[in-house]
Amino acid sequence: MRKLVLKPKGFSKIPIEAEVISPDIIGGKTLPEVKALSVQYGNKVHSLSEFFDVGGRIAKTPDEQDIVVDGDASHVKYIGKGMTTGRIVVQGDAGMHTGSQMKGGSITVTGNIADWTGAEMKGGLLRVLGDAGNLLGAAYRGSSDGMTGGCIVVNGSVGSEVASFMRRGMIVVLGDTGPFTGVHMNGGEIFVFGKVGRRAGAQAKGNGGFIACFGGIDELLPTYRYDTTFTPTFMRLYLRQLAGNLGIDVATSYIDKPMRRYRGDLAVGGNAEILVAEKA
Amino acid sequence: MEVSFKHNGVEIEDTFAEGFGMWGSRLIITAVTQKWANIAATSLTGYATSVIACDCEAAIEREIPPEESPDGRPGIAVMIYGFSRGKLSASILNRLGQCVLTCPSTAVFNGLPEEEADAMLDIGKSIRFFGDGFQVKMRMGDGWHQRKRFWRIPVMEGEFLIEEKIGAKKAVAGGNFLVMGATEEATLKASEAAIEAIHEVPGVVTPFPGGLCRSGSKVGSTYAFLRASTNTPFCPAIKHSLKDSKIPEGVNSVLEVVINGLDEESVMKAMGVGVDAATKVPGVTWITAVNFEGKLGKFQMSLKESLGGI
Repeated sequence: MRKLVLKPKGFSKIPIEAEVISPDIIGGKTLPEVKALSVQYGNKVHSLSEFFDVGGRIAKTPDEQDIVVDGDASHVKYIGKGMTTGRIVVQGDAGMHTGSQMKGGSITVTGNIADWTGAEMKGGLLRVLGDAGNLLGAAYRGSSDGMTGGCIVVNGSVGSEVASFMRRGMIVVLGDTGPFTGVHMNGGEIFVFGKVGRRAGAQAKGNGGFIACFGGIDELLPTYRYDTTFTPTFMRLYLRQLAGNLGIDVATSYIDKPMRRYRGDLAVGGNAEILVAEKA
Repeated sequence: MEVSFKHNGVEIEDTFAEGFGMWGSRLIITAVTQKWANIAATSLTGYATSVIACDCEAAIEREIPPEESPDGRPGIAVMIYGFSRGKLSASILNRLGQCVLTCPSTAVFNGLPEEEADAMLDIGKSIRFFGDGFQVKMRMGDGWHQRKRFWRIPVMEGEFLIEEKIGAKKAVAGGNFLVMGATEEATLKASEAAIEAIHEVPGVVTPFPGGLCRSGSKVGSTYAFLRASTNTPFCPAIKHSLKDSKIPEGVNSVLEVVINGLDEESVMKAMGVGVDAATKVPGVTWITAVNFEGKLGKFQMSLKESLGGI
């Protein structure tokens, strides 16, 4: 991997829209070409080097490109938007729409991340070591397809409407989630190890989608019906995957723990599942 | 016996086992304990010794410890062989439905990855209909890891989990050799040693009871209504009543080891280690193999070459 380092020159109240920070766009270019890449600042177009010190090495192909954003990038939007390969590491906070519509590769943010992170994600791995804002992995307004693939892991807590209109893929939150987790979901898997906010799974249709709540849930919608308490074999596969492939060791402590199964949202004739781990 | 050579002091006829093509598949069954995984596998592989009169040939390949199994529970690998892709698929579906779906706590996984398979059979995809509309499709790894599909079927005990597709490939059946000894006891002991050694070879199974066939058969019969009858040339009890008896002097008992495998190389290796183990047991005097002079199958697996491979 060739590492390119982008060091933010300071914080700006006006956000910078920098979808050019992507291995797909940077890989194969020269350093001057990268410095001259266009970013949107307010209603004006500027070059990337006006906001970042650009240094390091550029790979011949995007899959060999490693991009490190070294510093606070909470004012930088669309980092890694639509990327298909390579790797981005943000050493600090990152702004809205990070990894939105990404199809492959990986993004790691060591700090916190703003709203719409991983919105309409299609593939790849997105990890946030801090907290995430609202609408993580959600569908953009007007769209009926949220995440259709990929995996998002947040070590901290997240805001509201996580995974709205989710169809495929996986979201793992080690902290708490805000209200409307998995609203309108129609497939996909959500694992929450903290507490799940109210109105989870509202309007969810199902299609194999579920929300696994290991740290309890604030309230369940009356349109979810209790079925049974069981220890599903399929959950072993996911929990082992979380531990083995994503390093989430806490997952193994829930293997073979009984779970209460609720099915809904009956308000829309859905058969999504909310699985709530029994308290030890 | 014609040309022969010696291995571990035992005469080995320089001949070949005649194998034929079949479709083979491997399933991994897991359960809450090894006991229940084994019960399911034993039931699944019952009455599946030979396609002469069974719908398929099947046997247990090996037990799988929890740390190697897909869901971290004790497991067991079984292999099933059928004459065609369609017949194999039907046999798997019937046997899974009756013997594993019904068995407490079991789950079924594909044991033949797509990259090694010639075809992927829609086994879980078909058995899902047993869920009567309440089955749930389970997706894993979409867009970020190895993509897998399963079906969760509600059953009275809880849930039955099965992988959507099971791999199958063109395989080899009919690998064999005959263990000939001075006594029944010595022949059985040597054959048991052979089976124990063969079970260390991956990718092969021995579908007959305990891996051994005491009543090898020949094609046809004196009786027109029978397709196969006892292998008279190798029956010691009638060796002096039969013109074409192939029983050498001093041989009073014969057991056949029959091997099916996912490829010719594995079957050859299993034959080699089996013959080697059998010839180390005192009382074994001859080893040969059964063939139909190339009229039955396209695989001619030489005993001499098999021993060269161990």
